[in-house]
Amino acid sequence: MSKIRDFVEEQFLIEFDESFPESSDLFKEGVMDSFGYIQLIRFLEQEFGIKFTEEEMTGGVMVSLSQIEQTVARKVADRTES
Amino acid sequence: MCGIAGILNPASPSDALGGNIRAMLAQIGHRGPDGAGYVVDDGFAMGTVRLAILDPKAGAQPFGDPSGRYWLCYNGEIYNYLELHRELEALGCRFSTNCDTEVVLNAWITWGPDCLRRFNGGFAFALYDSQTGDVFLARDRFGKRPMFYARHGGGLLFASEMKAFLALPGFAFEQDPEQLTSILGQWTPLPHQSGFRGIESLPMGQWLSFRSGALKTETYASLRFDEGPEVLTEDDALTLIRERLTRSVELRLRSDVEVGVYLSGGVDSAIVAALAKDFSTKPLSTFSVEFEDAEFDESSDQQLVSSHLGTRHCAQRITHADIADTTPAAVYHAEVPAFRSAFVPMYILSRRTKDEGIKVILSGEGADEAFLGYDLFKETLLRAEWDRLPDDVRRSRLEQLYPHLSHYGPKDIAAVTGLYHQFSQEKMPGLFSHELRFQNGQFSARLLKDAGSPFAAITDFVAAQDDYAGLSPVEKAQWLEYKTLLPGYLLSTQGERMSLAHGVENRCPFLDPDVFALATSVNLKFDDGFTEKRLLREAFRSRLPERIVDKRKFPYRAPDAAAFAAQRPGYLDLVLSETELAKLPYLNAKFAQRLATKVLTKPAGEVSTKENQTFLYLLSMSLLERAFVRREGLPQANLPPLQKVIDLTETKKSILPTGT
Repeated sequence: MSKIRDFVEEQFLIEFDESFPESSDLFKEGVMDSFGYIQLIRFLEQEFGIKFTEEEMTGGVMVSLSQIEQTVARKVADRTES
Repeated sequence: MCGIAGILNPASPSDALGGNIRAMLAQIGHRGPDGAGYVVDDGFAMGTVRLAILDPKAGAQPFGDPSGRYWLCYNGEIYNYLELHRELEALGCRFSTNCDTEVVLNAWITWGPDCLRRFNGGFAFALYDSQTGDVFLARDRFGKRPMFYARHGGGLLFASEMKAFLALPGFAFEQDPEQLTSILGQWTPLPHQSGFRGIESLPMGQWLSFRSGALKTETYASLRFDEGPEVLTEDDALTLIRERLTRSVELRLRSDVEVGVYLSGGVDSAIVAALAKDFSTKPLSTFSVEFEDAEFDESSDQQLVSSHLGTRHCAQRITHADIADTTPAAVYHAEVPAFRSAFVPMYILSRRTKDEGIKVILSGEGADEAFLGYDLFKETLLRAEWDRLPDDVRRSRLEQLYPHLSHYGPKDIAAVTGLYHQFSQEKMPGLFSHELRFQNGQFSARLLKDAGSPFAAITDFVAAQDDYAGLSPVEKAQWLEYKTLLPGYLLSTQGERMSLAHGVENRCPFLDPDVFALATSVNLKFDDGFTEKRLLREAFRSRLPERIVDKRKFPYRAPDAAAFAAQRPGYLDLVLSETELAKLPYLNAKFAQRLATKVLTKPAGEVSTKENQTFLYLLSMSLLERAFVRREGLPQANLPPLQKVIDLTETKKSILPTGT
């Protein structure tokens, strides 16, 4: 999962620390916009061999690093089980 | 077109004020290279640098009334001055010139500030009542012409451009982080903001009085969407659009010097050129920028319009090197942080225009705001009805919205749909239409150590407006554009500040009050708004090549970070060196350096819009700090030939009884 953190830090020019925790809303903080969100999805699909369904993407956007990591972990586990 | 400046300081002797005003006028000499003039009185001085357009021989300023009581320093044009001249003559006013300056002075003396509502034009002026010592400043309703002011030394300073204040001993510029966070957030200054502590911009549609040390501002024109004519059919709408725009262009061709047209390659400036040609007795001169970089270039469409209309066309080709070489000078003239580099080519174009012997140009600014030309309006319509639309309609509308952006294509449309779902409800009070755009602003605000709340000022600004809450979502979007991007960037940084850097006056037929009022009546009445500016296009379909009439909006842009990355000008040290960045105490230097390093080293395709935008802010803020705060690398001030000097203290002495 550190790959996700590295990607977000490198791509969005931030550093997660006490002043900017992993639970920060990346949209509200101005870190991520629609362009960055698409980049992130592309990266996750490629890196982890997972696929985001339309429903997942329209139902709610992953807004924090914690949420992103949880979602990816769940999808990787689902893939392994199936 | 001109530049004006003034200083009110009761403690200062008139000979010192004379020196001050000459120095202030020299700082803005580029705005009016044809001549300078000033008036001094006890504790007061003001003056004009003049670009002579109407009655060049007779209109020297400052302009006084026959009694010598009132004095006017005036910048801009009142296009309906002939009609007002006749009206005032009928009321008993006597005129000695054919100049609109005299019309403005008589109108103020006759009607007081109510005269402002009668003016159709772009103007800013200062009027001095030598009997009472009162000073009045006024600015046009759309914010075409600038007026900055500051309290200083117990008095008041004012000028068309802030750089005039550089000439005053003891005046120090300081960038104001509180204003900067707001500017970075919403892309441009709010109408009263300047970016510098203690300096305010007089908002559009307002006048200011300074009486006995008390400053008061009043609004004479607000932006209303309920004052247009009743239009029943689409045919009537098209006829009215043609009639009002034709009249607007005719009024804006009133000039004693030749008027040219800036052609962008889009439909708006093509309409202006077609109408201007109808009134021209000799071949119309048109001017364009074209780009070496094909991504930004519209030269084939510019040439198509030019050959269709038979104009004498001058194209200025812009390279990456032009942008890198010219940015410091263009930023100095812009005076406020900029979020893109597209204003820089306009600086180069106005120099070319002047070299070609043209002092006045018409352009298409204001059409997108009036007739719903921006994608932002479609985006607002879509988001406002999002919850009521079936999935497939949402998807197809999104795909139509930004076809030029790859991530709005079929591959990623599901992710974009998810994002829009989040933005279908208003989160920022009154700012629904701009919430997605403001995401980029939030990122840019990270340049500041303490960004605070970038949207607090604009939220308060809209909350203070009567009638704003009752506007539709699209009208609110238009209102915000008329108060931010249009005056705060398009008309100023990209418009008149670049034109006037080389003594070229720009006029905008789409910023005619009658044209705007008509647009409010017909927008969304005969279509769903998803074909941008449809009525405007249909109104002029028979006058222009089909390719131009049906051309989709091609946003005017120029190479941003890529130009600087390719050229690596020496001044990039300002944004790369820790020592240089430390000179801007309000900056988040670590983020700034990371950002600058990334955009200057990564391939252009890996630099996002918001990173480009934020880099331009950083660069322009650093250049402004160097020029205005540290006063390094300032160009030489140049006072145009002095044509008129009025010393009211001498006049008063001469009429004093002997022995006093």
